[in-house]
Amino acid sequence: MSTTPSVAIIGSGPSGCYLAQGLRKHWPEADITIFDQLASPFGLVRYGVAADHQSTKAVTRQFDRLFERDNVRFAGNIRVGEDVTLEQLQQAYSVVAFATGLTQDRKLGIEGESLPGVFGAGVITRRLNSHPVVEEGPTTFGDRVVVIGNGNVAMDIVRFLIKRPDDYEGSDINDALVESYNAARAKRIDVVGRSVVADAKCDALMVKELGKIEGVRFSTAADCTVPEGADRATSGRIEAVRELNELEPAGNVDTEVVFHFGYAPEKIIGETSVTGVDFTPTTSAGEALHIEAVSVIAAIGFELQADASQMFGNDVPQLTATPETGRFGQGLYRTGWFKRGPRGTIPENRADAKEVTDEIIADVEGGVITTLPSQTGFAALPESVQEKAVSFVDWQRLDAHEQATANAGRIRTKISDHAQMVAIAKNN
Amino acid sequence: MNITVLYGTESGNSELIAEDLAAKLNEDHTAEVFDLADFDPNNMTADKFYILVCSTHGEGELPNTALPFWDALNAAAPNLDGVRYAVFGLGDTFYEETYSHGSEILDKRFTELGAKRVGEYGRHDASSWDLGTDLALEWLPGVVEAFEAETVS
Repeated sequence: MSTTPSVAIIGSGPSGCYLAQGLRKHWPEADITIFDQLASPFGLVRYGVAADHQSTKAVTRQFDRLFERDNVRFAGNIRVGEDVTLEQLQQAYSVVAFATGLTQDRKLGIEGESLPGVFGAGVITRRLNSHPVVEEGPTTFGDRVVVIGNGNVAMDIVRFLIKRPDDYEGSDINDALVESYNAARAKRIDVVGRSVVADAKCDALMVKELGKIEGVRFSTAADCTVPEGADRATSGRIEAVRELNELEPAGNVDTEVVFHFGYAPEKIIGETSVTGVDFTPTTSAGEALHIEAVSVIAAIGFELQADASQMFGNDVPQLTATPETGRFGQGLYRTGWFKRGPRGTIPENRADAKEVTDEIIADVEGGVITTLPSQTGFAALPESVQEKAVSFVDWQRLDAHEQATANAGRIRTKISDHAQMVAIAKNN
Repeated sequence: MNITVLYGTESGNSELIAEDLAAKLNEDHTAEVFDLADFDPNNMTADKFYILVCSTHGEGELPNTALPFWDALNAAAPNLDGVRYAVFGLGDTFYEETYSHGSEILDKRFTELGAKRVGEYGRHDASSWDLGTDLALEWLPGVVEAFEAETVS
């Protein structure tokens, strides 16, 4: 028996990479493999972080080193439950940790939600990031759009709705989608959130960033006085909203953004497609609100993707069952959003990955986990899996191709067809 | 030479840079790395050289792991006369007004408490996609030299 485990991490987003970092630090010799269903690594950083937030995506420079220098293996193009079973993984590795995130847009759960014209923010973000496995959708949203939610993802959506193609300098945005949208832009965008400004989930920086975009008039009827004793994040957010409200728009104003704080969606109106949304106030001071709309984009958070059951069969671990621990079975762990729910930024999930790292170390060293001589890691997997896997060197080939073929003013053009991603990566 | 590399981080970039700097320093000197969260400001002494690697959070604020240190530093307000340090700050020029402010908060306070910053103020800009470690390793010999010059004089 060895006290060095072999570790399979499922999901190569930030949580999976941070977990690998921690485990590698403790066990320099352990076989550590990060699996991903896609040919590309980095999950949410590549497909969830907005395409015009490249400095946030630059965290991948840190993760590159895991694979380039620290001998962590990337095995892309492998879907657990399809290409390899959980049982096969557990035969090859003594520790299997899931960092698969939460990617499905949370439903509003109100009447009219299934009408044509209602969309989830996550799907739009993934399409703007050229995700290869995402449902089709429109490229235009009509004159009037209602965005439901007032978190940072909602702000990402608002930014997309008001930016023009020239505003994406230095990004890796899906240009075809942006240009098509720009040909029939929304004229009025109502952003409606359940929380009052003081409790809204968005960061002041995200609000301020909106104010730098030309051709837009922002307004809100919300009370923007900073309550006594407000913390810095709260007062910063309120100030940012107030500044946006007072901002003299630059450029030719052809777009209007109106923020409404303190309203919950009650019903989406429409017969064959969306015509408006009814809201009820969440504060005693508010009155019922009806807003006309051609499209509704819901940015109210994320939940477990429906195909997660493929990985676990019927035993999908509950999200909230034991949030204080990453362990959910013998040799089975989870970290990040798949453990804690859809809350927190990349750094907060780094802290969580550290906790789970410590938990795994304690379990291995405390004898809870034993590593059998046969559990040698990647080499112990069926050959078919090893052959199908896209390695990090393969990914670097695809990465170089995407950068070399970037459109003018862009840093890369992502390949959005997965078979093509694999072909370029494997040089077929 | 005895060197303590301290880092304050949100996403882990500063930690990585701090470790790379320490690895390089350990070729010729003795260097230790601490997360600011695990370091007591009362332990800062004049016989050591301190290298601070610190990012910026939100609107020019300190990163999460620097907060306990910041509180302890203000509570104790230790006399840092004779303490010498260098700073490598991380930030993002995307947020012009607050670029690299996180490390500057500590730099200012260190100076107020009597410590002296030596060498060039190192900077990394996340918007540049430069690898922080590359810039920091280029910057390192200059501050070590500046510290040595100080000690001799």
